[in-house]
Amino acid sequence: MRPMKFGIGQAVKRVEDARLITGHGQYTGDVEAPGVATASFLRSPHAHARFAFVDLETARAMPGVLAVLTAADVVGLGGVPCLAPMANADGTTTPLPDCPLLCADEVRHVGDAVAMVIAEDELAARDAVEAIGVDWEPLDLVVDVPAAMKGEAAQVWPDVPGNLAFDSGIGKKEATDAVFAAAPRVVALRLVNNRLIANYMEPRGAIGEYDAGEDRYTLTVSSQGVHGLQDTLATKIMKLPAEKIRVVTKDVGGGFGVKTFMYREYPLVLAAAKMLGRPVRWLSDRSEHFLADAHGRDNVTVAEMALDEKGRFLGLRIDLIGGLGAYPSQYGPYIHYLGATMATGPYDIGAFHARVRGVYTHTTPVDAYRGAGRPEAAYVLERLVDACAREMKTTPDAIRALNFIKPAQMPYRTPTKRTYDVGEFEGAMRQALARADAAGFSARAAQAKAQGKLRGFGFASYIECTAWGEGEEGSLTLNEDGSFTVLVGTQSNGQGHETAYAQVVAQYLDVPVDSVRVVQGDTDRVATGNGTGGSRSIPVGSAMVARASDKLSIQLKELASDRLEAAVADLEIADGGVRIAGTDRAISFADIARLPKATPEARRAVESYTPPEATYPNGTHVCELEVDPETGQVTIERYTICDDFGVTLNPLLLAGQVHGGVVQGVGQALSERTVYSEDGQLLSASLMDYGVPRAADVGSFHFETRNVPSTTNPLGLKGAGEAGSIGSCPAVMNALVDALHRNYGIAHIDMPATPLAIFKAIRAAAR
Amino acid sequence: MISISMTVNGKPVKGSVDPRTLLVQFLRENLRLTGTHVGCDTSQCGACVVHVNGQAVKSCTTLAATCDGASVVTIEGLAKDGKLHPMQEAFRDNHGLQCGFCTPGMIMTAVDMVNRKGADLDEKTIREELDGNICRCTGYHNIVKAVAQGAATKSA
Repeated sequence: MRPMKFGIGQAVKRVEDARLITGHGQYTGDVEAPGVATASFLRSPHAHARFAFVDLETARAMPGVLAVLTAADVVGLGGVPCLAPMANADGTTTPLPDCPLLCADEVRHVGDAVAMVIAEDELAARDAVEAIGVDWEPLDLVVDVPAAMKGEAAQVWPDVPGNLAFDSGIGKKEATDAVFAAAPRVVALRLVNNRLIANYMEPRGAIGEYDAGEDRYTLTVSSQGVHGLQDTLATKIMKLPAEKIRVVTKDVGGGFGVKTFMYREYPLVLAAAKMLGRPVRWLSDRSEHFLADAHGRDNVTVAEMALDEKGRFLGLRIDLIGGLGAYPSQYGPYIHYLGATMATGPYDIGAFHARVRGVYTHTTPVDAYRGAGRPEAAYVLERLVDACAREMKTTPDAIRALNFIKPAQMPYRTPTKRTYDVGEFEGAMRQALARADAAGFSARAAQAKAQGKLRGFGFASYIECTAWGEGEEGSLTLNEDGSFTVLVGTQSNGQGHETAYAQVVAQYLDVPVDSVRVVQGDTDRVATGNGTGGSRSIPVGSAMVARASDKLSIQLKELASDRLEAAVADLEIADGGVRIAGTDRAISFADIARLPKATPEARRAVESYTPPEATYPNGTHVCELEVDPETGQVTIERYTICDDFGVTLNPLLLAGQVHGGVVQGVGQALSERTVYSEDGQLLSASLMDYGVPRAADVGSFHFETRNVPSTTNPLGLKGAGEAGSIGSCPAVMNALVDALHRNYGIAHIDMPATPLAIFKAIRAAAR
Repeated sequence: MISISMTVNGKPVKGSVDPRTLLVQFLRENLRLTGTHVGCDTSQCGACVVHVNGQAVKSCTTLAATCDGASVVTIEGLAKDGKLHPMQEAFRDNHGLQCGFCTPGMIMTAVDMVNRKGADLDEKTIREELDGNICRCTGYHNIVKAVAQGAATKSA
């Protein structure tokens, strides 16, 4: 593809930034809604309890209070549904409860909502929430996943015995068991993928409005895509035609998957707006975020690798038990399974079976969080591969090189029925190790040891799946003033889509990015869309924009052809207009837009793109760290990434995605610990208690690409939004285990490896 | 209700507020200066940082009433005569923001850092000084670069 000044591959600075660095962003809480009232929720202080209201009138009578709503006030509305139930391996299904908008008489986790107060302002609403009288009758509960599976455990749902929501499988069980029975060596590990809390910096928020004249609702919400929310509201909860509900999303302060889902507060602000005849706004605070937004990860996996005497992987067997929390969240059950579909990673493993179970507990629901199953799978596999290298007394790079799927094997059909189109896994690994100066590690480790520090070196080679499933339909329009407008149904959450899509248009139409406006996040303006998630926006959205650009180019040439008195075939797009190839006879896009034949239809191209298969980004992350044995403190000294994202659309944005993802993975590995007490209280429910990485907890990164273009994506792109969080956990933990194993023979430690956990492991090993 | 008055971004303002009103609520709700954000409720995240009488403070933990008579500068007041502050430019140049929600607080903290520590800031200093500002998107790599550039540019 010909390089364009602002086109694909260029480090174009973001068009979004002008408003965001001056304080003129429009996050949900910044949106003006004249006459808006404030909603606040009474949430359960108990993990499991029956309850009855004993005093609602005091709250209702308080100054500024407009309404106090309970389940009795919203009986006509459906609950929040799970959209991704899992069947059992034998084909049966387990009853799937909805999450009620407000609990009627029983709560199932701390933070479950029981009443909604709407008042003139936030202070009045909060005062009234505290005045509501409730008679709580605490019930037996269970917060720990393995404990929840025992017969005597309290049941979250009466019709789900053993709290087992599903018991599914993937791969070939008998064949895999046979391989294990005959295998010369088997290496096994039990690993915890710790429960995480997203902690995007903008907590969720929503504004409900109702237009009585048009009998129509508008929801302004911090989301990852308006169309999915509109559909769930219309078809499942409010049971209205979709056109009766407009959903708008403006600037979003991070989402990481967790802002994808329907949450109870959204239909409730709409219902309250209709009841009160004025807009109703709810803005979550950080404490509410910890309790009321879906959590991520949360599984315990036993993984076994069967090997031959040379270290070739013969079979992989996985037993994964995933936490679901108290309610099946929108995609919660499926996420645990999704990870298992990537369980064999970049390796050629003949036999594979995974058992995947989902279990309810009296905790906040669990759902997709950046990577959604794939980080969990990559973590398990790469920890296991390092353990295999130790068992076989070989090196981590040698055992990987031996077992990687080779480029000549592409396209490669995995045992989970995926088809990898391309990938040069050893190439990326060798490049990353060279850049990380793996050869110089011993000298650095010796130097560290002389200073009383334990240095470790570890890496992870991952592959993940992105941009699968639904497509995008959108349009590109030449406006009357010569500028362009893209309508697209993906939703930027900070990734820089406005810039990225403008670059695609700039590539095809040779215009500056600031002449392209990207419209997203409004069901009235964009007809369809599937939002941001699964690293899909750039691979899928850009392919659609490229097609629309191509199509519009032809339409604009047709318009220009009369004026230039030349055949379309002799015309080219150049320098902001159409010209006769090889001449200086041209017409600008602005002049084309004013031609008599330039009707709105002639200036607009509608296109769609649906991916035929996922794209498969891959690469190697290398971490070098030091442990202070006196404190258990870990310092990451060097971090090197070599990734294959197919084609780089914008190197600035791409590196930003990787940096951010890596630090989320570092957080999971070292500091982010979600702690429930035995009585179901979330003890880590603030930024003072939950270890989101700070600037001083991490260092800078070396990131480079070794791209192999995707053959299934028209632009060669592979998704890049989640890869950072996928390569990082195993790289950090392999480096940490390396440091601990070299010095103390410690071969295992779980995430999050906090200073206390490391300190305890060292003390235990030293005894 | 109590009456308060202060100077915000160079302009005199006044209001009648509940004594419990926080400075950030006064800025956002009364003055509609929504560039200052609320990201937490424990003074940890720093999305709400503004300058009060020349010093960075977390406006989510400051009562509006205690700022009676003070001079307050918010992110909206940082650019002068339509020209961005060098720290704002540096955040854009270095892709130091993604979702942008933490960015106003980051920039106000960074400007205060330069005021206190000077223009020659090394990575370690910048990282330590950013302890009270959380970003979940960027991994800090580009924020650190932006602060260093913004600091150096200011002195040039």
